[in-house]
Amino acid sequence: MNSQTKSQFIAVASITSELSAVMVVAKEISLAAANAKAIAFRAGDKAKGFQPITDFINELAKETIELVTKINVYAILLYRLTVDEYRRTAAYNRFEQALKLANTNGARYADSMLDPTAHAKTVMQDCQRQFKRDVTQLLGQLEAVMHHARAARVIAANSRIEASQAGEYLQSLQAVAESVDKAAHTIHDNVQRCRIALSIYRNS
Amino acid sequence: MKMTKIYEGAHQWVMFGRDENKPDNIIDSNQYIVRTANKCLLLEPGGTELFAPMMAAVLHHAPVEQITDLFASHQDPDVISSLGLWDQALSNAKLHAPALWEGYIRHFGCESIEYVPIPDNGETIKLESVELQIIPAHYLHSPCNFHVYDPQAKILMTGSVGSAWESAGAPVFVERFDTHVEKMRYYHQRWMPSNQAKRAWIDRVRNLDIDIIAPQHGRMFKGDDVKRFLDWFDALQVGTGI
Repeated sequence: MNSQTKSQFIAVASITSELSAVMVVAKEISLAAANAKAIAFRAGDKAKGFQPITDFINELAKETIELVTKINVYAILLYRLTVDEYRRTAAYNRFEQALKLANTNGARYADSMLDPTAHAKTVMQDCQRQFKRDVTQLLGQLEAVMHHARAARVIAANSRIEASQAGEYLQSLQAVAESVDKAAHTIHDNVQRCRIALSIYRNS
Repeated sequence: MKMTKIYEGAHQWVMFGRDENKPDNIIDSNQYIVRTANKCLLLEPGGTELFAPMMAAVLHHAPVEQITDLFASHQDPDVISSLGLWDQALSNAKLHAPALWEGYIRHFGCESIEYVPIPDNGETIKLESVELQIIPAHYLHSPCNFHVYDPQAKILMTGSVGSAWESAGAPVFVERFDTHVEKMRYYHQRWMPSNQAKRAWIDRVRNLDIDIIAPQHGRMFKGDDVKRFLDWFDALQVGTGI
């Protein structure tokens, strides 16, 4: 296995690992939203501006979880495609080697390997193109998760402003805003790592 | 890859092996083909590393579209790990291999080749007018293991039985049985787990009319060396790894 193939395997396998961390964080945001809702309810009028924000946080967490679940399925398909591409490439290389050897040694039926070799090349190239197409699509889906992370950071900023007007509930609501902000950072960083790892394989 | 025709009649047997270009750290193996007018059966196709030289060698005898059948005596990688490559090269082929090992052998890649599972009691493979008998050789060394007997050519392909570790330049037939024994002893004592299985196999093959015993590693036995080998193996205590 050459170093480019190894890097490709690692890049695809790392997506699942990074995304499982994103999933954990998204669930934490969902919990933070439930917690914030309870605090805002207790705070009554003092946290009036905070109450609709909790719904946004919850919705954002739910959407992120759904998106990551879909991307994970896609990442598994991409991994299978990577294995297939590896097998096809290995076969094509061996067929070429066999054809060359057969010709060098004057094998009577050497030419009968021409068609299987040409076919193996076509299949290998199809696989490579499919991989690039799928990576481009996956990068688009990861961009959507990044968009959610950015939205979560805006919500966290708004939460801080609303929390500052919540009197004795200020600390609890600020803690909620902090945890959403931290989670948004983590999601952003993890997804960014996936994008960097994959970006060299995208369709140019 | 060295090629040796070992039977020439209405059909042919060719032995392949002693590949000078194989990596040093993999064991040398013997491959065989049975060639009829329009078909070619590949016995013990070999490991992935051997695919290209093996394919190139077979192309001296048959075009790729006439390689219609493959046989694997058992599941080991030196026997059949090239399957995934043959699978992509052959458009219309069958693999005859132990039923018990199907789920394992398919790990090597078997999508277009049809897997024909061999039941425990064996079967026959028909290659145009040639009928080959698949002889059970369970626990020699694999728990589900088969050998191939050609009653016309009087050749018994014995997989691991009769194997020895040899250098790349070694002759293909045993020349002095008494010295060759030492190259086989440890292999048979350590690899073969059961004296009972060995006894059952010897009883079965003593009834066959055999000119050549063709193992998967090392040299083949012909003429009087066939009986010498069976007698030697009969007297050998195996399963010494415990």
